[in-house]
Amino acid sequence: MKPGQPGQDEPTAAEELRKQIAAQFGRSLHIRTLDTGSCAVCEQEIRLLTAPHYDLHRLGFFFTPAPRHADLLLVTGPMVRAFEVAARKTYEAMPGPKVVVATGACALGGVYQSDPFVHGEVDAVLPVDVWIPGCPPSPLALLQGLGVAVGRLAEKTPGLEFIDGGGA
Amino acid sequence: MPLWFARGLRRGVVTTRYPARSDPSAASLPTPPAFRPRQLTVRAVDQMIAECPGPALSRVAGTLVFDAGACTACGRCARVAPHAVTPSGEFELASTARPALIKLIPILGDQR
Repeated sequence: MKPGQPGQDEPTAAEELRKQIAAQFGRSLHIRTLDTGSCAVCEQEIRLLTAPHYDLHRLGFFFTPAPRHADLLLVTGPMVRAFEVAARKTYEAMPGPKVVVATGACALGGVYQSDPFVHGEVDAVLPVDVWIPGCPPSPLALLQGLGVAVGRLAEKTPGLEFIDGGGA
Repeated sequence: MPLWFARGLRRGVVTTRYPARSDPSAASLPTPPAFRPRQLTVRAVDQMIAECPGPALSRVAGTLVFDAGACTACGRCARVAPHAVTPSGEFELASTARPALIKLIPILGDQR
């Protein structure tokens, strides 16, 4: 694409943001978890990340209790409408650049449909950057998701087809 | 200096990266299904869609639309058609684009 054409800036801006995130978050990153109505099993898996077996801290990830100190928002649950204001305030309180990670099938729209009580997915309220499927996502899946979020790991999903050639 | 630390230094063990090989327990994790297109029939697919508790499965004409993001790996579809559905073994599914999680599976079982 030649310079000056419409739409040219977008990939460039995205690439710059990616580089900025890699430069700023490449070494250490603080995570704020946000439960928007999950069944708490995602939280159990997130809590396991700090256990010696997975040891999140050796990778430079830390949990913080305050959104003002957080670089990454790890959102679980189907985004109940009663929590919408709190979710927006949490996001706004975070300093930029910031990353929003939707965690678990609820947050991805796989469990609850949009109705008067829930939005059904996190993306309806917050600008999601990385989606981590799973019900719940195992700690390893979460680790990989965090790696993808900061640009340390390549995502595997585009290469997966979910087609089993065996026995055909 | 603790002995384990000295040993680690000597062997050059890297402890600050993502695991090079997967966790042994990963093999027992429930994982989203993988489909065998030649074993899939429209009838079986419609049964699977009826059994699926979420919006993970849908059908557009001769194609099964599988949303890996919405899948909870419950295994109900595999129970409906055990010969056509197997566990994929994939659980590291993080994606930076939601549409990348939606996969199209051709239904080829009716063409025989």
